[in-house]
Amino acid sequence: MLFDRSQALALLQLGDSAYPAGGFAFSWGIEGLAADGMLANRNELDRVIADQLTRRWATMDRILLRKAFQAMDCKAIAEVDRLTEAGTPSAEMRDGSRRAGRALLGVWVKLEGPLSIAYRDRVSADARLGHLPIAQAVVGRDAGFSLDAAELVSGWTLVTGLVSAAVRLGIIGHIEAQQSQAAARGLLGELLADTPGADALPASFTPFIDIAISRGPLRHVRMFTT
Amino acid sequence: MNRLSLNGTMAKSRIAAARVGIGGPVGSGKTALVERLIPALLERGVDIAVITNDLVTAEDAERIRRSGLIDPARVSAVEAGACPHTVIREDPTLNIEAADELERRFPGVELILLESGGDNLASTFSRDLTDFWMFVIDVAGGDDIPRKRGPGVIRADLLVINKVDLAPHVGVNIERMRQEALAVRGNRPVLLTNCRRGEGIDAIVDLLEREVLFRT
Repeated sequence: MLFDRSQALALLQLGDSAYPAGGFAFSWGIEGLAADGMLANRNELDRVIADQLTRRWATMDRILLRKAFQAMDCKAIAEVDRLTEAGTPSAEMRDGSRRAGRALLGVWVKLEGPLSIAYRDRVSADARLGHLPIAQAVVGRDAGFSLDAAELVSGWTLVTGLVSAAVRLGIIGHIEAQQSQAAARGLLGELLADTPGADALPASFTPFIDIAISRGPLRHVRMFTT
Repeated sequence: MNRLSLNGTMAKSRIAAARVGIGGPVGSGKTALVERLIPALLERGVDIAVITNDLVTAEDAERIRRSGLIDPARVSAVEAGACPHTVIREDPTLNIEAADELERRFPGVELILLESGGDNLASTFSRDLTDFWMFVIDVAGGDDIPRKRGPGVIRADLLVINKVDLAPHVGVNIERMRQEALAVRGNRPVLLTNCRRGEGIDAIVDLLEREVLFRT
């Protein structure tokens, strides 16, 4: 057998774009970039996805997820969560990350994941906690995932969320969406092949995306939370 | 039903707030109904909060916040990402989180109104999200809406036919429309309102008190 079937099926379930964790409500800058005239076709979308993966996800979210996944207990997980809060300058990005993370955590509380239940208690008591990569680590542990699997689901759900938002905004069609996903799949695979060092610090550099998200509340017409 | 407390066990210290969904087509009067229900429920001593699902603007949430009818902090907005039915049915997690958050911030809240974004006749609420939901149509949308047997019309716990004052102006026989609605719904509740003037609101609140809050 080339792969663990039960793990592969679990990946398909949690990595499904229809997984009920509110992902459809977040465009992570796609809507803002399109509104500002900086994203209008598939080539530009692919560049944005590549930026999101290489300059944010791989160097920030993935590092934080790894730290939370390897943390000894809820107290240690919360420290990584606070680091996420402190390392995300955009208020809208912080808010979106917490809303997405809390929604994901909430699903696993109702599914009675023990770590999710314990960590949710901390999140409920501290408005700064509940960021998405941290919640992904927590539910990944409850799902019995390996660290590799948790990272893969995290990266892939980002890709599907970005592409799905672009489809709903009319930037690309459904065939182009598959082409974008295929291109992103290749890039994500390359990124996952490199293992970050244990001492890697989270960092990101996506200024146009950060600005597009930060301008969200100023837009009268918007469909997405971020 | 949403009866879990924060630690995943059955709530012991208090009863979770009832969650009441309000769905229906664009322009049928959902926000106007919420604006009428708020003072009517408050007058009967019901501790309430509101969640709106805005599609492309924060219009509905802001309208209710600025209405002066309710503490603006008790009004939460959830952006639906262009999918008004998704956020109330296939993936209601953001609305559930918003409701849980309102309950955390206002521990005494008894009833949370969840207004969906305007949608089509197939729009329905998840039972994981709401304990009771109503579907709002209006006479100006056509008296054939009940006969189309959309899932929203058929499956809602309560069907509200709004803007009854317009019936004579749009050629609608309101009594026939009501009878057809009752027929397709197997005689489950159908109530008539004119939200603009507040007519018919007491009957809805009576029903909520009886069927949702179990006060009678």
